[in-house]
Amino acid sequence: MNIDKIMTDGLSFSLPLFIMAIGGIYSERSGVTMLSIEGFQGFGAFTGAITVVILRTAMGSSPNWLIYVATLASVLGGMLLALLNALMVIKLKSKMTIAGVVVNILAVALTSFLSSVITGAVTGQATNKIQLGVSPRYTIPYLSEIPVIGGLFQNIYPFAFIIIVVALLAWYVLYKTSYGLRLRAGGDNPHSLDAAGVDVNKIRFSAVVLAGGFAGLGGIAFTYMMANFSPSSYVGYGYLAIAALIFGNWNIRTTFWTSMFFGFSRSFSDQLVNELGMSSNYSDLFSVMPYVLTLIVLIFFSKHNRPPRALGEHFDKGKR
Amino acid sequence: MTETIVELKNITKRFPGIVANDDVTLDIRKGEIFALLGENGAGKSTLMSILFGMYEPDEGQIFVRGEKVRLTSSKDAAALSIGMVHQHFKLVSNYTITENIVLGDEPLKRLGPLSWVDLKGASEKIRSLSLEYGLEVNPDDKIEDLPVSTQQRVEILKMLYRDAEILIFDEPTSVLTPQEIEYLLEIMEELRRGGKTIILISHKLEEIKQVADRCAILLHGKLVGVYDVATTTTQRMANLMVGKELDFSIDKTEHDFGEVVLDVSDLTVYNEQKVKVVDNVSLKVRQGEILAIAGVSGNGQVDIADAIAGLQNISAGSISFKGEDISRLTIKERITKGISYIPEDRQKEGLIMDLTLRDNLAIKTFDREPFSKKGILQPESFEQQAEDLIRRYDIRSGQGGQTLTRSMSGGNQQKAIIAREVELDSDLLIFVQPTRGLDVGAIANIHQQILEQRDLGKAILLVSLELDEVMALADTISVAFRGQILKTDSVHNLSKEEVGQYMMGVTQ
Repeated sequence: MNIDKIMTDGLSFSLPLFIMAIGGIYSERSGVTMLSIEGFQGFGAFTGAITVVILRTAMGSSPNWLIYVATLASVLGGMLLALLNALMVIKLKSKMTIAGVVVNILAVALTSFLSSVITGAVTGQATNKIQLGVSPRYTIPYLSEIPVIGGLFQNIYPFAFIIIVVALLAWYVLYKTSYGLRLRAGGDNPHSLDAAGVDVNKIRFSAVVLAGGFAGLGGIAFTYMMANFSPSSYVGYGYLAIAALIFGNWNIRTTFWTSMFFGFSRSFSDQLVNELGMSSNYSDLFSVMPYVLTLIVLIFFSKHNRPPRALGEHFDKGKR
Repeated sequence: MTETIVELKNITKRFPGIVANDDVTLDIRKGEIFALLGENGAGKSTLMSILFGMYEPDEGQIFVRGEKVRLTSSKDAAALSIGMVHQHFKLVSNYTITENIVLGDEPLKRLGPLSWVDLKGASEKIRSLSLEYGLEVNPDDKIEDLPVSTQQRVEILKMLYRDAEILIFDEPTSVLTPQEIEYLLEIMEELRRGGKTIILISHKLEEIKQVADRCAILLHGKLVGVYDVATTTTQRMANLMVGKELDFSIDKTEHDFGEVVLDVSDLTVYNEQKVKVVDNVSLKVRQGEILAIAGVSGNGQVDIADAIAGLQNISAGSISFKGEDISRLTIKERITKGISYIPEDRQKEGLIMDLTLRDNLAIKTFDREPFSKKGILQPESFEQQAEDLIRRYDIRSGQGGQTLTRSMSGGNQQKAIIAREVELDSDLLIFVQPTRGLDVGAIANIHQQILEQRDLGKAILLVSLELDEVMALADTISVAFRGQILKTDSVHNLSKEEVGQYMMGVTQ
């Protein structure tokens, strides 16, 4: 069995999942139920991809740095859709779960429509499948030759580095800064935050928008792994990220491990299918493995879980 | 010496259907303990919420230290060194004491572009503050692990940490045991010695008498007057507060008891943490009898009541109701058999706060005729019942049956529960701390209800922490101590002092 491949693929799948889960943690720890990671991810990826297409056409060439522009665009795109989500749940006080589902549906519909329209206008060929260039990949010398875990250091996407840095920063902000202290208070007892003179809704608003940015970063990473963006890019990774954060008990450190667990179980099952040379019917069955694991894990661990106490409650000053 | 620090001039505040404050004018002096006395719903909390910036008055002006101010948020109040301990604590349960205290006003440490919350430094400051005022806490403890009294100290420290000069306490003793109350009152005196101005919202006359210098009495949103506590008797304060001459004594006619309604024998209960909270308890309640379980909080008395009502599983013993073992029945079956239950926590277990009063009143009977016919709810019946009960039980609510339960005052919420439970016409009524946190008027009303039910021949089990209440109402007293019943006897054979001794576990 190709251990290196399991390691390489596992990591490149886990990290985007992890950063998306961090987005969910930000939102949920502030008290806003977050189901729209999937939508933010897709919309972000779309924004990134379409930016690449526009720039590529305008310049007539495809330089390497486009990938970083795409990343930035994807983050902003995720934040843009998150802005809408935040408006719905915080300003307009719509039900958080419903808003989440609506945003997800909207993202799929909007991106497939806009893909066709924009590619048509820019390149003259309307398609909802946006081809991206191939992402460069890096192998770290020496480390990549270590047995078993060497694979972790081979063929790394540039996103891996970005995600690791952003994740560390996100951890620092959430657990060490005053913003983080306030954010986490918002999900436990928003009234304490209000009494301390902090605007609860502002904090929550910012947390949701940040969640969009994190999801956008995860989204572009997944998109470059598949080399193109299309509406069929929505395959449930956003929900998997939510499962990872629940399993990780709304804590960034534990969620890192649960994301790894999901990522590596997926690359493992992929390799297993390859190794056994199974037909595509069976391989589909095996790709279900991470989701089945999710289900099992959630069944067994849910009762030890402690979601934020005020999760899903709108903040209303008058309510005692 | 008598420098005025806060002046409220002609404050009026209206809520839908209610004038909470009606032209109230007060002045509070620096360094005094100023009490605000009034029934539930008299407008005390609203008035202080205005001073704390949580509501803006519709009319009137506020002066702090001689300057006219406009308070639009608690931040404005904090800037004027006004702090408040709310009735419902505003604490983050999974944070440490330190984290809670610094929240919103975090001390930062910096290194280049990075800044982080300096919890260590804050912790030290809190430790020294807590020593200075005798408020013992360990700053690194998590709130969820702490008893209510300690949480309250955290709230006080929160104000002191922010250098508050004017400290508002909203019903601070309603959640405390007698010893803890003593301790809190001492802290208040300590704070006064430290030069702080204290505003104490309360309806407990004794504690006002004990610590306050002056006392303003509110009635139905209007100021009755400001009185010098030292020269005003508690009886007079009570009368002013309810607006009519009040009779403290309870008329209880002696009568013979009927058949045994509730027969609990050898009951043992373990709680969720597998701790034995009820230990081999036996008791009997007869028709027309009030059996009161006295005891210091947390000695298993609530667990006994919960076990009878079916809220807690029993692990040994039997509960028999009118000769039938009910210990395996569901809660609903027990209700149908004729058990009414007035729980300790009216907001958590007694009512659904976000439903209307009308729906809460029908919450145990909605599936019966006339409230539903063939599975279809009959709103007119809900409405009729609500109107009827609101009138008969004097439940005050802004918009009648349509009032949101959450918006009602505590006393009226309790009246609603009692109305609902009494209307079930059950043979057994269980009252757990029925007058907790209520004012004199509401307490008298509820005592009257309990006695009426007794005289109708109902069996009544009363769990109360207030020894005076137990002595006044009970026919028979059982004293709970560490999950056991130490003593059961007729009220005529026991003095208050004896019961107090048993409550401490002294058995001679």
